[in-house]
Amino acid sequence: MTSAATGVVMADRRLQVRGEARSSTARFALWLAPWVLLLALGIYAGGLCLYYGLNQTNMNNRFAFGLWIFLDLGIIALGAGAFFTGFLVYILGRTELKPVLNSAVVLGFICYSGAMAVLMIDVGQPLRAWFTFWHPNVHSMLTEVTFCITCYLLVLTLEYIPVVLRNRQLRKLPPFVVFEHRMHLLMPVLAGIGTLLSFFHQGSLGGLYGVLRGRPFAFRQGFAIWPSTFFLFILSAVAVGPSFLMLVTAAARKLTGRKLVPSNVFPRLGFISGVLLAAYVALKAVDTLIWLNVTSPAVGFAPWEYYAYKPFGTTLLFAEIVVFGLLPAVLLVQGRWLLPGAALACCGILLNRFVLTVQTLALPTLSFDPFLSYTPSWQEVASFGGVVAYGVILYSLSYRYLPLFPQSKEQTHVSGR
Amino acid sequence: MFPGVDGFHWTFGHIFFLSVFVAVALTILVTLALATLRTARDLRTGKAAGICWHADFGELPEAERRCRHELAGRVEHRTCPNAFDCRSCPDYARFADLAPTVEPRTYGMNYPGDRFYHRGHTWVRPETDGTFAVGLDDMAERIVGKPDTVELPAAGTEIELQGPAWKMSKNRQTIRVRAPLEGTVVATGGAGQGWYLKLRPRGQANLRHLLRGAEVPGWLAGELDRLQLQLTQPDSSPSLADGGILVSGLMDAMPKADWDAALAATFLEP
Repeated sequence: MTSAATGVVMADRRLQVRGEARSSTARFALWLAPWVLLLALGIYAGGLCLYYGLNQTNMNNRFAFGLWIFLDLGIIALGAGAFFTGFLVYILGRTELKPVLNSAVVLGFICYSGAMAVLMIDVGQPLRAWFTFWHPNVHSMLTEVTFCITCYLLVLTLEYIPVVLRNRQLRKLPPFVVFEHRMHLLMPVLAGIGTLLSFFHQGSLGGLYGVLRGRPFAFRQGFAIWPSTFFLFILSAVAVGPSFLMLVTAAARKLTGRKLVPSNVFPRLGFISGVLLAAYVALKAVDTLIWLNVTSPAVGFAPWEYYAYKPFGTTLLFAEIVVFGLLPAVLLVQGRWLLPGAALACCGILLNRFVLTVQTLALPTLSFDPFLSYTPSWQEVASFGGVVAYGVILYSLSYRYLPLFPQSKEQTHVSGR
Repeated sequence: MFPGVDGFHWTFGHIFFLSVFVAVALTILVTLALATLRTARDLRTGKAAGICWHADFGELPEAERRCRHELAGRVEHRTCPNAFDCRSCPDYARFADLAPTVEPRTYGMNYPGDRFYHRGHTWVRPETDGTFAVGLDDMAERIVGKPDTVELPAAGTEIELQGPAWKMSKNRQTIRVRAPLEGTVVATGGAGQGWYLKLRPRGQANLRHLLRGAEVPGWLAGELDRLQLQLTQPDSSPSLADGGILVSGLMDAMPKADWDAALAATFLEP
């Protein structure tokens, strides 16, 4: 081994969490390599979009929301585990979930920063990003989303910093440890703010579709200025956040071969997720019935008209509510098939966001409208892949160098693994 | 959105949204500012060592946070709630009068009864001149053997309880030894002299937080078990102790063992 390689290995070891076995430097580099390549491709594709404009995509004035908005809505919903776990631990005092709190914060940070990166490419003109704050469209739900997501990403950054400061080398410096301690004492404030912000931006993302009067497939009635999708988005995100957290933790456990969290954490996360998902499915079913029988006929659309265009048949509606809603809710509550249940729940929320983004825009609304189809360009797909790769890389680095699962040492001690 | 900027009107909706946004932004900034100011205050008033220790203590596995009274067999199970600072423990007196049930033994190692022991493997011995000698205990000495380098603080240095007392290195591993007592360094020794530091305590010395008597064998038993488990090769199963005595210079005898983890647990540096 050359001296440079030895130096890299030594530096890698010095940064790792102390007392916990990690894979060799070479093996970790091999794991990262394909993701780094994908990230590089994503950055290149994103750069093309920023340089040449949105002509690099297959979106147009009629199909203005595509893969990127689906990705944004999906990862923002999956990232809800961050605020909800913080809310459960710091506000409701469910300390049994503390072992996954750091992981939840990192996941939330990845999801929201990834969403912001994609939004930056989608909106374009990053140098004018401040316009959205200084000259906002006060009639748009997206204004509220922009303000909330920006503030919440700041909150997540502040929550992530103490985790970073627990790195083995950084913790040798007393000012960092003291600052981490002081931030930790103030975490309930950040958890409360995070909950408020998440509540409104998750809701407004749903409200964004519900107020589309020109798109009867998405338009909903509701309460005051908020359409029903406002509340359904909040509830579905809160329901699926713990499931996604559980899935990622299980994947990390499988990949590392270590018992990362106490055995009571998964059943607790699964139960919370399952109960909330059951509530969501019930409300979603009621909402769908009201929409099909009242809201839609009132604007001149018969329910079956929405489902006459393949592949968007009624199978999709059935899958969304029953296969990816009711079934995972039952699996999660009864607790024996937690991981399949969590996977189905996560697929369900992605399907819901896909339906509201793509199906809404694809269906004709005027008599001369055609059924639109949209296939993302390679630049869109590569940018999407870049965000996924960014998430995998940041989570892998965080797992290797930060105490994402503070109790894993104890679990290893107990189980002997 | 903001007063004076196009599109803003003095309506309830605009004022409400602006108020909420400003309140949220201010709360975030005030939280950050408070954490920064309090950090600066803690560093200025010398609270940093205590905070660092509490952070490290919280990361120790529960098996290493056992109360001294459990070690002595006075109670069946009790986890220390006080970061090993028995001087401020309200329950200390309740258990201290109970008779210990642990047999006095030192597992073939040298643990003289005239010393007080810290769980970071140091000892404290009151000297006749009012100072306190501090040294590495026998288990730590047997593990490390002869250190490659030793960095001792200069005479006059103030050290804090649980803060860094001195540094050693052995086989490219750095070892930070925790101070078992707060005070001023009045003299420095070394590995060959049997003690490393002599401290003049701050005010009236109180050694109640240090282990002694029946607590020592209970603690040593756990430490030896832990060391044996940590040094077991990953693919083999732990075996029963054979009653042997810990060799001197274990780090040299087992150079391929995971010393990073073993030293972290031995010297309470998670």
